[in-house]
Amino acid sequence: MKTKEEITIFELEVLELLKNVMDPEIEINIVDLGLIYEVNYDGKKNINIEMTFSTPSCPLGETIISSVKEAIKQKHQDFTINIDVVFDPLWSTALVSEEGKKLLGL
Amino acid sequence: MSVLNSNNAPDASVVKPHFIFSSLSLLILSVMIILADSSFLDAYFNTKIVAITHMAVLGWAIMIVFGALYQLIPVVFETSLFSENLAKFTFWISSFSVVFLTYSFWIGAYATLLPYAASLMFISLLLFIVNILLSYKNSKLKNNSSKFVITAVLWLAITEIIGTLIAFNFMYTFLSEIHLHYLKIHATIGLIGWFLLLIIGVSSTLIPMFFVSHELKDKKLSIAYYLINFGLIALSVNWFFIHQNQFDILFWLSIAIGILFFISFVYDSYKKRMRKILDIGMKHTMLSIISLVLPFALGLVLTLGFGIEQVLIYRVVTVYGFSIIFGFITTLILGQTYKTLPFVIWLDKYKGLVGKIKTPMPRELYSEKIANIHFYFYLLFIISMILGIFFDKLWLIRIGSYLLLIVAVLYNINVFKMVSHKVKTEITNEN
Repeated sequence: MKTKEEITIFELEVLELLKNVMDPEIEINIVDLGLIYEVNYDGKKNINIEMTFSTPSCPLGETIISSVKEAIKQKHQDFTINIDVVFDPLWSTALVSEEGKKLLGL
Repeated sequence: MSVLNSNNAPDASVVKPHFIFSSLSLLILSVMIILADSSFLDAYFNTKIVAITHMAVLGWAIMIVFGALYQLIPVVFETSLFSENLAKFTFWISSFSVVFLTYSFWIGAYATLLPYAASLMFISLLLFIVNILLSYKNSKLKNNSSKFVITAVLWLAITEIIGTLIAFNFMYTFLSEIHLHYLKIHATIGLIGWFLLLIIGVSSTLIPMFFVSHELKDKKLSIAYYLINFGLIALSVNWFFIHQNQFDILFWLSIAIGILFFISFVYDSYKKRMRKILDIGMKHTMLSIISLVLPFALGLVLTLGFGIEQVLIYRVVTVYGFSIIFGFITTLILGQTYKTLPFVIWLDKYKGLVGKIKTPMPRELYSEKIANIHFYFYLLFIISMILGIFFDKLWLIRIGSYLLLIVAVLYNINVFKMVSHKVKTEITNEN
């Protein structure tokens, strides 16, 4: 069984991997865009991700989900990844990270 | 998990042919304008101008709008398109009808070919309307955008009924007023009821999405909806049944104020945008929205009259129609092509490959440089044509028509670059 600290480090590693997933329209990675609400690792082989889209009618939603799964599987092939897409709270520009704001030229 | 709309997106084979047909139509349209030459300086209802108008509105604008709308139904209605097969069938019948109808106008075959061409067009538009209405029936989302789109579709039906009646009246005279009277109603309902409301409906979803702007006031859209529809219904009823032209100004004002509310909504979105740099698609879009001011200023001039002599009135009417079709609608379509088609192609080619191969960004599927060049050529085309028509300068119209040809060629290069895009199988080595 992994310690709480090891789990946190793993979750941060997953977050880093997700920085490779770009929103194809906005062209910023989904972490800095603030689309990832939570990453939970159970210490075994399961990763649960709670995320959102910039709009509920995002036409690229399915593609972004596939990209998230692929990005994690590149390093953790035998893990089960569960993704929960939520719209509560709704995404807003306040969720964009400082790095994301720089990328957007704000 | 929420229902994801990308699951509802239609197959690219439904959407792509519309973009191809439309971009070729733009090319044909530019050649028609070159051939029409001095017709732009004649009365606006001459055969060449009417043919050009229908090629522009149907072959170029409506066909691309159909394609884009099939793609956007999942975004605006949050449901899938009712029938993809019906959409494909509608495409073929519409394509044939557009060519047939435009040819009938061009050669002036009003009493012979036109009623048949108009009937075919009527059927194709009806099939489109049925597909959209049945899609809407399945939709649980009833918001401002969907309300605008559905109302626009209903106005399209009315536009088409009037158009078909005018066409049949050339064969069997049965209408009580002269053709120009019904032509005015047909054009006004088509341009405002169908195009304008549809564009407001779709862009009120897309513009904030592309700008990445949030917390916008939907109320402005509701006010725009009621003011524009009130003005248009009142105008139509007045023109059809009451014939009290002194009230027209009030109805035009209602429409104009409604449009200002929409422009104000777009301005809010622009101000609150996260994406500070306007890409080529949004540059066109902003130019198009700003261009809306001209036709409505001209609409008010035409309504008030100001004692302008008849020859000049004809030219103002031509500029009025030109500024809506080319200033507003075409500019918007040119821009939105770059916001829609790259994603249609990208999703079609790379949806199943994300993470497996290195994928390009959608905007890398076309040349931004070419798009930028045709943006400025297009701007010159509009200025040249408007000045040429207003000041009766044929040489300006000729320059303008060749500028449009350049735009059409450049635009076609980009469209065909996108639709013929091939996946490069470069495997990522990050394991």
